[in-house]
Amino acid sequence: MSFITVCCHINENSCFVNGETVLHKNEESPDSWFKQLYKELGIEYPKFYKMDMLSQGGFIGSEFIKRAKPDLISKYKDDEIALLFANSKSSADTDIRFKESFLEKKTPSPSLFVYTLPNIVLGEISIRNKWFGENMFAILPKFTPDFFVQYGTILLNTGSKAMLAGWLGISEGRVQVFMFLVETENTNGEKFDAENILKYSGL
Amino acid sequence: MIFIGAEEIISPLGQNMEENFLSVYENRSGISLIPHAGFNDESIHLSKIAGIPNYNKFEFLIIDILEKVLKQVDPSIVLSKKTIVIISSTKGDLDRNISNPFADSITAFVKYFELANEPIVVSNACISGVLAINAAGNFIKSGLYDHAIVLGCDVISDFVLYGFQSLFAVSAKPCAPFDVDRDGITLGEGCSAVVLSSSKEIFQKSSFQLLTGTSANDANHISGPSRTGEGLFRSVKKTLEQNHIDGNEIDFISAHGTATVFNDEMEAIAFERLEINEKPLNSLKGYFGHTLGAAGVIETAISLQMMRNNLLVKSLGYKESGTSKTLNIATENKSSELNTILKTASGFGGCNASLVIRKI
Repeated sequence: MSFITVCCHINENSCFVNGETVLHKNEESPDSWFKQLYKELGIEYPKFYKMDMLSQGGFIGSEFIKRAKPDLISKYKDDEIALLFANSKSSADTDIRFKESFLEKKTPSPSLFVYTLPNIVLGEISIRNKWFGENMFAILPKFTPDFFVQYGTILLNTGSKAMLAGWLGISEGRVQVFMFLVETENTNGEKFDAENILKYSGL
Repeated sequence: MIFIGAEEIISPLGQNMEENFLSVYENRSGISLIPHAGFNDESIHLSKIAGIPNYNKFEFLIIDILEKVLKQVDPSIVLSKKTIVIISSTKGDLDRNISNPFADSITAFVKYFELANEPIVVSNACISGVLAINAAGNFIKSGLYDHAIVLGCDVISDFVLYGFQSLFAVSAKPCAPFDVDRDGITLGEGCSAVVLSSSKEIFQKSSFQLLTGTSANDANHISGPSRTGEGLFRSVKKTLEQNHIDGNEIDFISAHGTATVFNDEMEAIAFERLEINEKPLNSLKGYFGHTLGAAGVIETAISLQMMRNNLLVKSLGYKESGTSKTLNIATENKSSELNTILKTASGFGGCNASLVIRKI
């Protein structure tokens, strides 16, 4: 049996961990919303500034989940935490920016191109935490709790002991990030099933 | 047991599996110099499919390949609630709708075949194909589905070509995987399919056993392979352990072999660490180019054909060893009893995946 032990939501102007507000967007701040969240985390990770918004969103969510679960890194081996992420529009925002770089600016930008794959965020989170576990990024027409339960259960039955899962709806100015941690060895949470995912997600 | 078969390929080398394997058997490449194809009008080597409409190409290919596949299996499985379709692709139908690159073509595809379940798109860079086959195998193993159809497809676009050019990753000549003079990838396009099932009765021809594998991240760099081959090493090690296979049982490795300096070196290091670097190995990129999300499926399909024909196919473009660890690269076609094949893939985002296929 597996349990959802932490969840994190980020929308256009608020961030919640386990349903409690962590930060509201300060409209007066010169910093972007994701940069405000990064500063709230109080970490030093300059690579954050190189990431596109999809990776920044996933990175921030993973850091807030770790903050709520400080033993996450020490408790599991470096290949026991699987990453299962999805959205419906792949890396569309960065794709559009990369296309502009060669159509309008006449110079295809390599630093944008490397972010034109949705699974790069999985690489960013893996690098940050030195996690060598299972990775999958899927594109689904809409947020589908069954997908996370079905494939998540498979991952948790084939060697992974925890799973960081996420729906990263970040495109055209909209932010709909829902990330959650599923653990097999920690019963201090809600049962990992489609009903609870739907309830927690608020999507 | 999970059965795998009914492999199909559409590529510059042919419109179906038979034509494609014949081309590979004859060591013909789909790569040619395309004038003015690249950024700033540069002429570029590509493996590009001729004679199909550019309009909605992705949709055309995924429909066409499934039509072909359904002639090789019990066609009723396509309508079944116990069948899942998994599509592996990096960029889908990007030129049709960059804001939503999969929606239109997948909707049309679902409607055309009246699929009972919404397909899952696996978009995990260059391991998408191998990951999709593993996911399909896992879905069947778990009992959620009885059958899975895995389609891999990516088409060439200015977007992807200019991107690889901007990274200086495109070879000036047809790509030469593992060769000392390799200098980058040659992009390709193609579409390929395999069918997986818990029943061998659905296949018209013989099928093989899929031993589902694992994926592992390098945790090292988002666009450069690990210098130690860590993720690939871990993925293959786990795949072999979970299936209780000793490295010595592998008859052949269908490697990723993109022909970039660093990727091929990384693979050689990983295979040496795994002590399987003496096993015969090839990369099929010299035939098909790098077809990104389709590559893992195309290369698995060719591996099945190699097993059917007990023929080890030459690694096209390879002449002289160009990696720090010695590999046993197939320099010519060779008849060989192939019972157990290891397929690997690695990609941007530091991802790696592997699977094993066995003759029954």
